Amino acid sequence: MSSIIEKVADCLVRAGSTFREDQKEAYRRAIADEKMDSACWVMRQVLDNALVAEERRSPLCDDTGIPHLFLEVGPNKCVTGALLEEIKEGVRQGLRQLPGRPMAIKGDDYARIDQSGCLNEDSGALVPSPILIKPIDEDVLRLTVLMLGGGPAIRGITQRIFHKHSVDVVIDEIVNRAIPAVSQLGCSPCTLAIGIGRSQFEATSLMMEAMAKGDFGVQSDFEKRITEKVNESNTGPLGLGGKHSVLAVFAKIGPQRASGVRIVALRPCCCFEPRRANVELE
Amino acid sequence: MNHIETPFCEDTIAKLRVGDVVSISGYIFCGRDAVLPRICKELEAGIWGKRCIDLQGGVIFHTAVSPAGVGPTSSNKLEIEGSFETLSKLGGIKMHLGKGAIRSETVKMLADNNAVFAIIPPVTALLESQTLERECVAWSELGMEALYRIKVENYQAIIAAAKGKSVYE
Repeated sequence: MSSIIEKVADCLVRAGSTFREDQKEAYRRAIADEKMDSACWVMRQVLDNALVAEERRSPLCDDTGIPHLFLEVGPNKCVTGALLEEIKEGVRQGLRQLPGRPMAIKGDDYARIDQSGCLNEDSGALVPSPILIKPIDEDVLRLTVLMLGGGPAIRGITQRIFHKHSVDVVIDEIVNRAIPAVSQLGCSPCTLAIGIGRSQFEATSLMMEAMAKGDFGVQSDFEKRITEKVNESNTGPLGLGGKHSVLAVFAKIGPQRASGVRIVALRPCCCFEPRRANVELE
Repeated sequence: MNHIETPFCEDTIAKLRVGDVVSISGYIFCGRDAVLPRICKELEAGIWGKRCIDLQGGVIFHTAVSPAGVGPTSSNKLEIEGSFETLSKLGGIKMHLGKGAIRSETVKMLADNNAVFAIIPPVTALLESQTLERECVAWSELGMEALYRIKVENYQAIIAAAKGKSVYE
């Protein structure tokens, strides 16, 4: 196995099995701050689960997620077709090692839509989503692997907001969308991933970048305001009530169109997400 | 913490209250969207008995069973919540185990049949360390969505609906 394939495979296993330190700390803070016993019980279970998963290098959740890839490319680094093939192979190997849930659907377009094509038993058959590539100033080639679960995908919303020349209007509408999404997800406390751009594609790309780069310990005013407002809903961990429906918001605001509309991508990431890890490939 | 062993008797379930944290041990069934409607169809047609799988006093955990482990899917999906009544009335299932809010009509139906809905956190790594056996018992062609029977030790869950009350009220 080439060095790049090994690095990508290891990165995927870490993404699916490991909480980052800022994520663990966010849980510890929330547990210390929470008054409701049931909410504390849920968050302790989630944190204990993370410690067991990290030790065993086993999945945090049985929905191991669809691999999504974010590739940052420094000024003197080169991306070739061969490199992308090695990354793809690393994903395949990583899914087999984790192991990922074997949930690739076989068959033609219709069979894949109605799931009549049966499941592929090979965890590695799950193909990753298209790679998001971004040029950066730092001279590295850095891959972030994100494992995106199905629950947040069901409750995610990408839709326009008429801003009426007010940030408050945009925040209020995001909160109005987030509260039912968090409640219906069930697997809270959530982290809300948000991208605001000029098209559905751009907003979703920005949301992906927010998930790839967000830090639970570093929150902007915009992010804090949304967290506080959503937490007023008292949905709480697993919907059982409590102050911590949302642990943090990871938002990325891109260039905007001269228009009355903003396109907002919103994903209520579950209690384990963003499941991510990164690796420098060169 | 209330330690309970499957299969449950009527008294064990009758004592459970919303908000109780329970620790479940014994054999439980696992099934979700694909397989639960099939079980209901056979129960309603009166042909389930041919399979010699006793659901009486049992638990249905709304999960797939895969090499990745187990973990609850949303119980309020149409095919899953739609199975509660038949599974409890005709199958004798006493605990539906999953996650997410269920409808008030379902909460009432559970009370009428002395059954409960419990929520289990999606803690796959912990659950894996508490799962002792797993066996596919029906519709193996559904792969991870087939009907499984697993043996568990100390699965922790919280009672979310019992006696006509719900944590979501």
